[in-house]
Amino acid sequence: MISIDCRGMACPAPVISVKKALEDHTELRVLLDDGAPRENVSRFVRNRGFQLSEERDGDGWTITVIPGATPAISRETVPFRGERVLLITSDRLGEGPEELGGLLMNNFIHTLLEATELPDRILFMNRGVLLATEGSNVLETLLKLNGMGVEIFSCGLCLDFFNLKAKLRAGATTNMLTTVDSLLAAAQVINL
Amino acid sequence: MVSEGHLLAVFNSAHRVMKAENSLKSIGLPILLIPAPRKLQTDCGLAIRFNEEDRLGVMTVLEQEGLLPEFISRLEAGEYVTVWSCPDQRSSATL
Repeated sequence: MISIDCRGMACPAPVISVKKALEDHTELRVLLDDGAPRENVSRFVRNRGFQLSEERDGDGWTITVIPGATPAISRETVPFRGERVLLITSDRLGEGPEELGGLLMNNFIHTLLEATELPDRILFMNRGVLLATEGSNVLETLLKLNGMGVEIFSCGLCLDFFNLKAKLRAGATTNMLTTVDSLLAAAQVINL
Repeated sequence: MVSEGHLLAVFNSAHRVMKAENSLKSIGLPILLIPAPRKLQTDCGLAIRFNEEDRLGVMTVLEQEGLLPEFISRLEAGEYVTVWSCPDQRSSATL
């Protein structure tokens, strides 16, 4: 069984490392710091249908992850593991008054924290990128979601258009190739 | 979203809470407009989250602007405790 050492890593690196390792392995052992890294990784693998056992290891933890009852989708047939992608193309939800649209979109994102099943990835495009940049009311929430294993990407072209490349405060930049791949290979795309 | 000790001013009117948010932000108070947590049992209620140290500033502004909330709760030991209720129902009219 492979072992990965995520001790000393800052959020969201532990979850991302485990996620990457699980793309190539069906089981693994991971060393983690106590607190948020252990909670976030445990939650993440449980949500993916894995079973885990946790053992205290000095100041940290050793978590052993093994397949659960539900088999994972084979990587040969689907490049992504049937992920759920949230595509957000505006900082407003709906066509009505701007203020209402902004309020609704903020509320939607805040309420994601209470969802029983989180999306695997959030893609921001067009005005959507404003939500991940300085001044957004949902940065705190996006960073929390990121820490819980939700990948967050903003379109680089859009950030450049709005002159916000240097003001990205949550998640990473992406390009159209990754966006297209993400959408075509996803099991479910929710477009707001 | 809400940590121990945070205060939530709950409004049941979108217009009032948006005006309140604008007023409070325009003078630089560190507040955040969020959906009211499920535990508070308001349907589509909205809340303005702030810290105890900003309570006086927040309440002063809201009172001056005629934008008092329905009530204010504080998260204590995992439960929401009402710490203030609007005394005059007319000044907290909902849509």
